[in-house]
Amino acid sequence: MAETGAAVHAELTKLRYVRSTFIALLLFVPLSVVVAALDGWSARTAIESHNPLLRADFTPQQAGLDGIQYGQLALIVFGALVVASEYGSGMMRVSLLAVPRRGRLYGAKMVAAGFTATVVAIPVTVASYLATQAALGTHGASIGATGVPAALVGAVFYLTLITLFAAGVAAIARNAVVPLAILIPVVLIGSHLLSLLGATKDLARYFPDQAGMRMVTVGAHDAVTGFAVVLAWTAAALIVGYLRHNRWDS
Amino acid sequence: MHAARPAQNRRVIDVSHLTKRYGGQTAVNDLTFTVRSGAVTGFLGPNGAGKSTTMRMMLGLTRPDAGATRIDGHTYQQLRYPTRHVGAVLESSAPHRSLTAIHHLRWLTQCSRLPGRRVGEVLEVVGLTGAGRQRVGTFSLGMNQRLALAAALLGDPPILVLDEPANGLDAEGIRWLRELLRAMAAEGRTVLLSSHLMAEMSVLADHLIVIDRGRILADMSMAAFIQRHGQAYVRVRTPDVGRLHDELDRNGAAAWLAPDGSLQVGGMSAAEINRLAARSGLVLDELSTQTGSLEEIFLGLVGGQGGSNG
Repeated sequence: MAETGAAVHAELTKLRYVRSTFIALLLFVPLSVVVAALDGWSARTAIESHNPLLRADFTPQQAGLDGIQYGQLALIVFGALVVASEYGSGMMRVSLLAVPRRGRLYGAKMVAAGFTATVVAIPVTVASYLATQAALGTHGASIGATGVPAALVGAVFYLTLITLFAAGVAAIARNAVVPLAILIPVVLIGSHLLSLLGATKDLARYFPDQAGMRMVTVGAHDAVTGFAVVLAWTAAALIVGYLRHNRWDS
Repeated sequence: MHAARPAQNRRVIDVSHLTKRYGGQTAVNDLTFTVRSGAVTGFLGPNGAGKSTTMRMMLGLTRPDAGATRIDGHTYQQLRYPTRHVGAVLESSAPHRSLTAIHHLRWLTQCSRLPGRRVGEVLEVVGLTGAGRQRVGTFSLGMNQRLALAAALLGDPPILVLDEPANGLDAEGIRWLRELLRAMAAEGRTVLLSSHLMAEMSVLADHLIVIDRGRILADMSMAAFIQRHGQAYVRVRTPDVGRLHDELDRNGAAAWLAPDGSLQVGGMSAAEINRLAARSGLVLDELSTQTGSLEEIFLGLVGGQGGSNG
């Protein structure tokens, strides 16, 4: 156990000092908070000018969770790079010389990535919500409004899981290109498009990002189902990623 | 850190029947050898002989198709905080380019719960103190090699496994490395290093393991290797090469004309050649006993097939 703790400690140091992972993590903050503020500001403008383009189902509470939808892109990049930066350089061999048990190294890496994502996601999720409400001004809602705390907690869980999902896919692919090429389009447009088509609507509910939406929807009744779906995706990616890591012959 | 150094000449690494195949090619074929403490063991072979593959298998990076390696009776994976036992430099391993030398060594100390001061200490040992805050991506080949050695020395390990550690080092660096490794062996540590250069081995190794195409060709002390494989000959210079050549042939010696105009003579001692020349009234400008260069011996041993498939 002491050796695993030491390995986690070392992984946290790598996350901090390998430039690409650290920059991706840093970008998560402005991407979430700035978009959240812009979102609130544009909604406020729309409300005050009675713009018909404002969504019919607009609520200030839900708008407060829009920022992290964009911020998650940075966390996906972060998760993918945590794994891929080692395969891409000769670093994985150095790591395996120091921590030769593959499961321990892989576990330490995932624990460090998941822990970091959680620790960063908590203040950023709250700050994003507050930024949107501040920009909405008098139209804004309280952070204690019904369903909001639950949705914020759901958002933190979702952001942690999507980070680990990206890391798992990167371990399967042993590079960052595949997970980013698949995940970013899916998160941005892919499964959203599918959900608009009648035939694939049911299917799209089981995509990690669409299922994740239920976790971050204020007052959602199926948040737990969404959580289970995202958890299943993440667990599957992590397990297959581990098998690939374990079989890696350098 | 290690209060008691292991006794000299103890079996430390036992490699038994290691085999690795890639597709139809057998890269390492049933290798068995032992590495002992208190000595530098040279692992010699041309490029593509299977040295790197063998070392990666010894350290658990590559899975062997057959065979096993025991380090003090354990597999590498079984070692607790392995960098405290084995310091390794592998050709294919490298720190992430965006890390500084200090940060790279820092996470390695954390992995093995080593004191943080070791980072500064090993940087000093390898002469990189001034470059500690530089990113590894800006390093020269020689600096990278020094950093890899620093990483290997972090845990003050009793065993060193080094794959071509002299690669990229300049002449001064190679001399420094040689002295460092000799001192390590003198302290009772176990040093295994690979090279494709016999010249490097001849000044450094106490024991020699020669491999080619995944098989062991020789496994003996350096002295025994020279004695067994090095054939002595006598080099003679004289103004009248033709006549001396004739005289030598008539008296049963094997002589041939070297490109530099000297005669190389086998089967006759320097003293005998001297007496023969005196009897024939020939003046000798040079008369010296030569040992075949180790490089020639090595190339002869591996069939002169240096630098085949990498």
